[in-house]
Amino acid sequence: MITEAGYLALVLALALSFALTLFPFYGSLKRQMEPVLLARPLAVLMFIATAFSFYALSYAFYTNDFSVMYVANNSNSLLPWYYRLTAVWGSHEGSMLMWLLMLSAWTALVALLARSLPLILQGRILGVMGLVCIGFYAFVLLMSNPFERSLPFYPVDGRDLNPLLQDFGMIIHPPLLYMGYVGYAVPFAFAIAALLSGRFDANWARWARPWALAAWMFLTLGIMLGSWWAYNELGWGGWWFWDPVENASFMPWLVGTALLHTLSVTEKRGTFKSWTVLLAISAFALSLLGAFLVRSGVLVSVHSFASDPARGLYLLAFLLVVVGGSLTLYALKMQSVRSQARYQLFSREVLLWGNNIFLLTATLVVFLGTIYPLVHKELGLGSISIGEPFFNSIFHILAIPFALLLGLGPWVRWKQQPVTPLVKPFAFIAVVTAVISLGWVSLYQSFTANLALLGLLLGVWVMTSSVAEIGQKLRSFGGAVGLKKLTLSHWGMVFGHLGFAVLVIGVAMTKTFSVEKDVRMKIGDTVKLNEYSFVLSDVYALKGPNYLGQAAELEVYDEGIKITHLHAEKRFYPVSRATMTEAAVDASLTRDLYVALGEELPGPSWALRVYVKPYVRWIWLGGVLMALGALLALFDRRYRQRSIAE
Amino acid sequence: MRKWLFFIPLVAFLGLAVFLFSGLFSDPHLHENVKVEQAMPAFALADLENPAKTVTEKDLLGQPYLLNVWGVWCPTCNAELGFLTSLRAQGVKIVGLYYNQPTDSAFGEQFDLPTLQRDVARKLAEQGNPYQLNILDKDRSLIFDLGVTGAPETFVVDAQGKIRYHMVGDINPNNWPQLEAVYQQLVKESHAGVTP
Repeated sequence: MITEAGYLALVLALALSFALTLFPFYGSLKRQMEPVLLARPLAVLMFIATAFSFYALSYAFYTNDFSVMYVANNSNSLLPWYYRLTAVWGSHEGSMLMWLLMLSAWTALVALLARSLPLILQGRILGVMGLVCIGFYAFVLLMSNPFERSLPFYPVDGRDLNPLLQDFGMIIHPPLLYMGYVGYAVPFAFAIAALLSGRFDANWARWARPWALAAWMFLTLGIMLGSWWAYNELGWGGWWFWDPVENASFMPWLVGTALLHTLSVTEKRGTFKSWTVLLAISAFALSLLGAFLVRSGVLVSVHSFASDPARGLYLLAFLLVVVGGSLTLYALKMQSVRSQARYQLFSREVLLWGNNIFLLTATLVVFLGTIYPLVHKELGLGSISIGEPFFNSIFHILAIPFALLLGLGPWVRWKQQPVTPLVKPFAFIAVVTAVISLGWVSLYQSFTANLALLGLLLGVWVMTSSVAEIGQKLRSFGGAVGLKKLTLSHWGMVFGHLGFAVLVIGVAMTKTFSVEKDVRMKIGDTVKLNEYSFVLSDVYALKGPNYLGQAAELEVYDEGIKITHLHAEKRFYPVSRATMTEAAVDASLTRDLYVALGEELPGPSWALRVYVKPYVRWIWLGGVLMALGALLALFDRRYRQRSIAE
Repeated sequence: MRKWLFFIPLVAFLGLAVFLFSGLFSDPHLHENVKVEQAMPAFALADLENPAKTVTEKDLLGQPYLLNVWGVWCPTCNAELGFLTSLRAQGVKIVGLYYNQPTDSAFGEQFDLPTLQRDVARKLAEQGNPYQLNILDKDRSLIFDLGVTGAPETFVVDAQGKIRYHMVGDINPNNWPQLEAVYQQLVKESHAGVTP
């Protein structure tokens, strides 16, 4: 029963999304307020209907209703209840329903939080959201209905959830990522509403910016969590694989980052308007493109859902309407919009141009790397694949000018910046950067020009400049009282930049100094990786409740000083005849140590796998700091004020 | 600023859409394989059910057949067993090439033939057995020579031992007609004694 109710709720939500599109546009066309006023309650109702529908599917999973095909295909009665619930978004249909839940949640949030906006603008924004909703609701109802029943012949029990998906990371990774993807519908709706009205003032940018920040925050966390999950669950060592689906999430992130920066220019200087609008459209277009690539089967990846050309065709048609339509509108309307502001060559505006150029070059590289194999094949030139070395080498090069500009940017004023006042602080920053990074790298190696040194120089440069900039601000405000005067969005910027610096250092150090070794050891033997000596102190037999096995005890020394003890096990489960390796991991801020116990060899000796991964945690720490920066900026007071003109 | 500049994003997007559209309809199953139109590579591998017996490419001559690369560890392969079995009932000759996953001896995974035979026998008893015989490619040498990128993959080989067609992914009622046309053509050729 509740399953059918869930389906009906979804149909109702589709009807509501039609109403949400029609009423406000009709009202804004006829200059009548009543239809526009309907938009807000419609948006909230649509969310409630969708939430109920999502609840209904979750309920079917919770109660093991295997007459629902989607449940039978993705869950079974032996799964613990929390994995049954997360199985809701474990496959195509359910994840689309979650996509709808997020989309309607954003729409309702806009309806509730954007009340200070002029009514017509509100109506248009919600109308565009409604239009996007129509496309997705119809897609789910027509092509991916998760509520389909297999009556009268339903299975007694379901299939197993992919074991890789039975993990905490899987519980929150897709929802966060979807929140980010779908979140870009809001800046997109703002951009289209502004194109329709032809008004792009500072207020518009100020209203749109918190939404761009929120979407970016979720996307950042989602990507980071995916990377962390891959590292933990999909085999040790890898944290980014340049897989097409990872790239599909990375592209909106890069464009979204560019958008955050140009929105601040549009907000504070009233310029870069056409560029900002294009970025807002592109960020959402790339989210949609990502959905298309993943769900149509055009690109093959470990993440791909089962492919279906009909679904692909629908999504492509939708992409054409939404993106093609908005780019046409853009081309027609944007011609007449003029930016008035003037600025000199050395100004924050120009530096932010630089930021955008590098971010978009990076996007283009990822885009071409992802789509080129497809184009190549369709041109009849044969199958090729583009792998890690291509992306890595280009990103190493792009990072250099990007980080250098990033260190400079916050110091430079709008309009025009005289060079002389910056010479002294930057001489100081350069010296501090050189001293710290050379000192840092000398802990690990002699002074050779390699990735580690480059990463440290760039990371420390950004850090020093960010910290010094805060110091300089405080001095100009007159000491510690200045702390209160610094806006939250300024702190947000600082955290975002520090996060980037931490990430760069993490990537460079991990890539340079990671060591992986397979060794054969007797009791008492020592193996040395980097500065760490692993001593195998004991191996003994284990007898668990349902398994037999062996355990190894290792002491780890750093130049004679014992730093940790590792306990690794190898278990054999006689019933399922499965061997499980319980690896020992010692994680800390500056390195992860990893030991897995292998086979017993004659001697007696044992095969062991030993990893040292310096600074790998910094990669995710950087992501968390960036997301924290976005969160701080979101709470800036000025996003809660009414429009400046009022 | 020139007005046409504002049309660049639209034009670029439409250009991309064309490729996405054609990408939708190009069958990913028709993954290219350089071995098509070449002779089966020479091999001498054990029969999985009867390891004392060695199978070579010459043993398979005389009748066109499907060479199906599979493994019990591969869910898609297991899913297609049922349909392949129904093809066997229609008289299609199907030879299995068993894709043995690499074992990591340092981690206690050792190749164990009796266990593998038991797993295979159980799987085939459950899902149906489409195979006239199964070739055990323990070290994946033939799989390497064939340029296989994953499982399942299927090669259509003619009576003279020449590979005529290759496809990636499962064989199912939707894509079988296409494959069947190729197969029936080869059957006709072999009856007519035509050497292509």
